[in-house]
Amino acid sequence: MKYSNLDKLFNPRTIALVGASANPVKWGFIVFFNILKGEFTGPVYPVNPKIESLLGIPCYPSIETVPDSIDLAVITTPAPTVSSLIDECGRKGVSFVVVITSDFSETGAKGADMEQEIVEKARSYGMRLVGPNTMGIFSAKTHLHALMPPVMPLHGSLSMFSQSGNVGVQMLYWGINKGVGYEKFVSSGNEGDLRCEDYLGYFAEDEATTVILAYLEGIDPDSELYRTARWACRKKPVLIFKGGRTKTGGKAAASHSGAMAVSSKVLKAAFHQAGIIEIDDSQGLVDCAKAFSAYPIPRGSRIAILTRGGGWGVITADACEEHGLIVPPLSREILEKLNTILPPYWSHANPVDMAAVITSKPYLECLEILAQWDEVDAVIALGGSIQGALDFKNDVKGTEELKESLAFAREIAKDYAEKNDIVLDLARTLVDKTGKPIIMVTLGDYEDHKSDLTNHRVVSYPTPERAVRALARMVDYRRFLNSPDEDIKQ
Amino acid sequence: MKILEEALKRGDSTLSEHDSKLFLASHGIPVTREQIVKTEEEAASAAAEIGYPIVLKGSGAELAHKTEMNLIRLDLRTDGEVREAFKSLKKNSAVKEVLVQQMVKGDRELVVGLTRDPQFGPCVMFGLGGIFTEILEDVSFRVAPLTQWDAEDMMEEIRAKKILGAFRGKPAVDKKIMADVLISIGKIGLEYEAVKEIDINPMKILNGKPVAVDALVVLNNKKD
Repeated sequence: MKYSNLDKLFNPRTIALVGASANPVKWGFIVFFNILKGEFTGPVYPVNPKIESLLGIPCYPSIETVPDSIDLAVITTPAPTVSSLIDECGRKGVSFVVVITSDFSETGAKGADMEQEIVEKARSYGMRLVGPNTMGIFSAKTHLHALMPPVMPLHGSLSMFSQSGNVGVQMLYWGINKGVGYEKFVSSGNEGDLRCEDYLGYFAEDEATTVILAYLEGIDPDSELYRTARWACRKKPVLIFKGGRTKTGGKAAASHSGAMAVSSKVLKAAFHQAGIIEIDDSQGLVDCAKAFSAYPIPRGSRIAILTRGGGWGVITADACEEHGLIVPPLSREILEKLNTILPPYWSHANPVDMAAVITSKPYLECLEILAQWDEVDAVIALGGSIQGALDFKNDVKGTEELKESLAFAREIAKDYAEKNDIVLDLARTLVDKTGKPIIMVTLGDYEDHKSDLTNHRVVSYPTPERAVRALARMVDYRRFLNSPDEDIKQ
Repeated sequence: MKILEEALKRGDSTLSEHDSKLFLASHGIPVTREQIVKTEEEAASAAAEIGYPIVLKGSGAELAHKTEMNLIRLDLRTDGEVREAFKSLKKNSAVKEVLVQQMVKGDRELVVGLTRDPQFGPCVMFGLGGIFTEILEDVSFRVAPLTQWDAEDMMEEIRAKKILGAFRGKPAVDKKIMADVLISIGKIGLEYEAVKEIDINPMKILNGKPVAVDALVVLNNKKD
């Protein structure tokens, strides 16, 4: 598969900020500030003929006067000025240009003409162009934060391209609170030159990227996205959240097939066929990416459920079935093993309801037995990690006996808190040992479980529905990987 | 393809039911046994050759929705019934010819189609047929070309997929043959720019095997 090499775009040695500004509410200032604040690994040269220096760094009157070669130029000046600046970048031998400036094809025919002009010009110099109308790019390796918003994403192995800068940047923010880190990000803007399939192809080949995310709105009729995706999805998971509807076939068709071919349905089919994991809401994108990036893809769809309370087990089992996951009955061998640990009134079935056993040791033992049960491919463990759920801070008034009981309850709570780390570490050990995802459901009212992921490399969600959804999407991907890889020639 | 070329030359926007089936059959898609006739005598002898029960359909390039226009005579079991039906159809002046067709008594009706998407090109559709196509919209799509896997996968995708299994004493649908049909439809879409859409509805199931009972090929005629 042919793809564009974008190494120098994401990991340039040098950057020039063309249109650097001393006015702190102008993008020429903000983007420059973000690059410096992000501690980009190489030199950054501000370019503006009207100012001497910016944030203590000498300014150059034009990019051609910068005494260094430039890999990446970021342009923030008004649209009518961009064309001649592209010429200057071209003469300078710049490799990539990121055009933050808006008011191009997104605003009408005049803008579209200008866009075509700058794209053709850039290409004539052998430069590639991001945008125009982009919110910028990010790369973990070189600490590159050439972005409009001051977001400092966590570093990780997700790479994302987004046709909406705002949506994409929000995914970077959401990652911070969930412990989900990014390797590369690009807001693709109007895609005058580089298009989503270029980023997809590059991320698929990029060794530092393990999972690809995208937010898409429209796909050009001549887009290579589908063909690129068919190849990319074999290499690594590609999760896409599609906003808006594509242009429908238009004319009412004479036959039923034509009339019913609402193109969102076709789009869904094409995504599925290519192996793309389609995510149907904004929260789901980072939510599912978390599991994809931290865990191996399950070998199949059989799930063991461990719960301390029956109701949550029921809810989890329902969600599994609704998502096409299988909750198999316990084998005799597993049943007997669990019998030696649990009191006689436990559920004797999958979901394994521990029936109000509150100490940590049996939970750990059950988790280990279920993870190693060879008839399941993943485990959902509920209520194993309940930091904050037990609150005995306040003293009680009453008898000495009551006070003693409170002291005992505090001991139990302390045991929970201490064992929580042990539960999480065991879960991770079992993931590594068995190759099966073990997803924790905390049922806690604290959203993001950042430390579970960052400190223990364990994936936790507050609700079983979210856990099941992430697992179901991973099973979808396994199903795709198991489908024959036929090289179709048209 | 001669049928296609001639229709395009005439400036037709669709192929007649019979021509649609000839075209599809030449690409390996199983269709009903049938003949076009002009006279009562021809109708009677065609019926005897095809075997009873028989369906007669009024034919003409402009007659797309035959049910609504009362141009179908079902379940004709004797020579006399065929002759009577022929005469009644000919009362409608739009009926130029009459299609004498094998009656397929399948209670499972599916739909198979081809559509063109501005982004993805030719796409194959599969789903519940008959009147349920429009009511339930229980259909799945795949972008052509389809692999064997794609074809089987799209059959699994409809909500009513149980209809493909063994059903009321009838055998399960032969998925291999059905997959071949879906793959062939995709190939037609890639091979013939002039074929804009295909609608096989119903695709009935006879002894577990699919048979196109009604079919319409819509042309992308530049003369439009």
